[in-house]
Amino acid sequence: MDYYNLMRIFAFIHLLVSIPHGYSNYVETKAGQFFSSGHTNNWAVLVCTSRFWFNYRHVANTLSVYRSVKRLGIPDSHIVLMLADDMACNYRNPKPATVFSHKNMELNVYGDDVEVDYRGYEVTVENFLRVLTGRLPPSTPRSKRLLSDDRSNILIYLTGHGGNGFLKFQDSEEISNMELADAFEQMWQKRRYNELLFIIDTCQGASMYERFYSPNLMALASSQVGEDSLSHQPDLAIGVHLMDKYTFYLLEFLEEVHPASQANMNDLFKVCPQSQCVSTPGHRTDLFQRDPGSVLITDFFGSVRKVEITKDTINLTSPVEPPIQRSGSGDIQIESLTYVDQLPVAEIIHQKPKQKDWHPPDGFILGLWTLILLVFFQTYGIKHLKHIF
Amino acid sequence: MAAPLTLLLIVAVTIRAVLFRSSLAELISERVEVVSPLNAWKRVVEGLALLDLGVSPYSGDVFHETPLMIYLFHFTVDYAEIVFMVSPYFVDCLSCFLASLDRFRKQKYALESDRYPADCLELLRSPKEMFYIPLKVAMFYLLNPFTILSCVAKSTCGLNNAIIALFIFCTLKGSALLSGILLALATYQSIYPLTLFAPALLFFLQRLYIPVNLRRSSFWCFTLQYAFIYVGSLVVITGLSFFLLGSWDFIPSVYGFIFSVPDLTPNIGLFWYFFAEMFEHFRLFFICVFQINVFFYTIPLSIKLKEHPVFLIFMQIAIISIFKSYPTVGDVALYMAFLPAWSHLYRFLRNIFLVSCVLLACSALFPVLWHLWIYAGSANSNFYYAITLLFNFGQILLVSDYFYAYLRREHHLTHGLYLKKKDGTEATLVLK
Repeated sequence: MDYYNLMRIFAFIHLLVSIPHGYSNYVETKAGQFFSSGHTNNWAVLVCTSRFWFNYRHVANTLSVYRSVKRLGIPDSHIVLMLADDMACNYRNPKPATVFSHKNMELNVYGDDVEVDYRGYEVTVENFLRVLTGRLPPSTPRSKRLLSDDRSNILIYLTGHGGNGFLKFQDSEEISNMELADAFEQMWQKRRYNELLFIIDTCQGASMYERFYSPNLMALASSQVGEDSLSHQPDLAIGVHLMDKYTFYLLEFLEEVHPASQANMNDLFKVCPQSQCVSTPGHRTDLFQRDPGSVLITDFFGSVRKVEITKDTINLTSPVEPPIQRSGSGDIQIESLTYVDQLPVAEIIHQKPKQKDWHPPDGFILGLWTLILLVFFQTYGIKHLKHIF
Repeated sequence: MAAPLTLLLIVAVTIRAVLFRSSLAELISERVEVVSPLNAWKRVVEGLALLDLGVSPYSGDVFHETPLMIYLFHFTVDYAEIVFMVSPYFVDCLSCFLASLDRFRKQKYALESDRYPADCLELLRSPKEMFYIPLKVAMFYLLNPFTILSCVAKSTCGLNNAIIALFIFCTLKGSALLSGILLALATYQSIYPLTLFAPALLFFLQRLYIPVNLRRSSFWCFTLQYAFIYVGSLVVITGLSFFLLGSWDFIPSVYGFIFSVPDLTPNIGLFWYFFAEMFEHFRLFFICVFQINVFFYTIPLSIKLKEHPVFLIFMQIAIISIFKSYPTVGDVALYMAFLPAWSHLYRFLRNIFLVSCVLLACSALFPVLWHLWIYAGSANSNFYYAITLLFNFGQILLVSDYFYAYLRREHHLTHGLYLKKKDGTEATLVLK
């Protein structure tokens, strides 16, 4: 009995002792989760590339995504919105100052506080690429710049008319999939993103992401190569199609997401199956380091600030657990990178050895002078020989 | 004879030395009339520097000299000025020999003088006149402003002229071997002296009393010998050049450059303006036309002047220096040096005043219009090209005038000086 009581007392003391330890363990787990995604800020680049009234749906697409992204927390200062045409104030719009995304005018995505950064003819391939790569003239205002850093998660949404390997801008120029891939590579080289989610809603959209080669890119498209993306529904009052199918169902899905939701990318991949969309949406995750199942929707669509309030001091001594690696995903290895020496001092200090001057080859000199001597003796006779030898 | 020549040499050296040391040297070596991409000194130095760095000097379209020039300048690049001062004196050798040539010709006429009409005696030259011809030729070459400019600019045109002068010297002296070798060397430097093969051949045939008859075997025998010497030495020289640098880079860089004229920097020639405006798909055709123009006059002139190969050499050199792809004033100076040798034709020249005015005015206007075009901006390339055209027109007129005078003198030698029509009035000669 005493032994039993002693065991109970020991167990109780052990429990008492281990509770703070357990608590700090819990905090460390939370800390581990805190840093699990690796990004500290979110950016969004939303581009609508078509103009003219009958492309109303592309503007509505972009504005829907804009609305969701703003609702989930990304501020206007971190959104670069590029609309190639102004539908809300188009003279053919029977309901001015509105852009509807749903039949029966249920949802006005234009709202009161839309901030369009690039409008009208400013939406060009060059401007788009300059925004992505950051090569803008110094006079560009901050609202037109993508000021991301290496801890930014960026969402890039493109919509418009496209084809196999290209996306049409403004009915006059195109951006090719290779250009886009190279732009992303430039962004990677300049450490302008941590992770990037690329969504495209055009015909044959999957062709636009098939050339990507930079790490940490995840891409979704509304249709495969050879398929067209279809529009959802016309509105008889406004007279044009209001949305594309893929973005419509994407918007429906995003309306369910709130800042604390744990919905992950695998759910996003299931948006708009072929039964609803007619085209087959595609996605590409081979360049992405983390398992898509562990990537939250709000990692890209929202700007979730993780705040844990604690009154205790926490020693983060043990190393933070690395993000969950997908098994067998060693396709892209990020080697540790260093900057090249700005000034190769070693080369300068050690003097280069003096260059050897060029000399004609000996055979040449021999041949040349033999010939000259032969000609000389031929012309002037052998009798001079005895004067030389 | 020796004393005036020495005095002339001293004066020439002094002028060149003074100009070398003055600030004008740099100015002159940049003038496009004096240097061309083929013979600019700056490019020679650049090519040698590239070679010292271990890179082929022909990479990058900078250097267009032949490998033997590389060999020559490799050892004398520090003494370049002396090299360039010495080379014009080779032309002097030529002049010394012209005297003996004329003696030869005079002897020929003396033998046949009884065949000539009596009033032609004044056409024949007396030894007293011919005594001073070498001095005059030397003077015309050494003191010619064109030569002085070319020498001060250290353009390798002077060396090319020296080789051609040596070739003429050896031809006149009668040594077929040396003449063939030097002609091969001159052709190797720039391809155009190829046309001098025909006059040299004609001279040797005349000298050896072989009649120019296509059916005679003696003609073909000698022609083949001479052609063999020429082609053989050309092959040997090209092979030696290959062994110098170990690659055939120099062929497209030198000969491809001369033929295809890629560099359209303005010069005193006719190519640049034309090809600056040429459409690409016509370019090949017009390149061929322009280059054929140089070689085209050989055969007709040889047929006409087959009894007078020395004059044919003069005409060929003149034609080369007018129609070559990158002419400079140094080329012009070469054939101008010959003019005193034909001073006996003076009375038959018709346009000498016009020609001399044109050449003087154009020479003065070249730098003026260049300045107006490039620096002041108030003229354009048409102005400069107009002066180029006029200069070349003047040269062509000069050459054709001498040709006319020569033919007329020959005609007078056979038919008498004061020609009379059947009814006794004075006749006029018409060139048809």
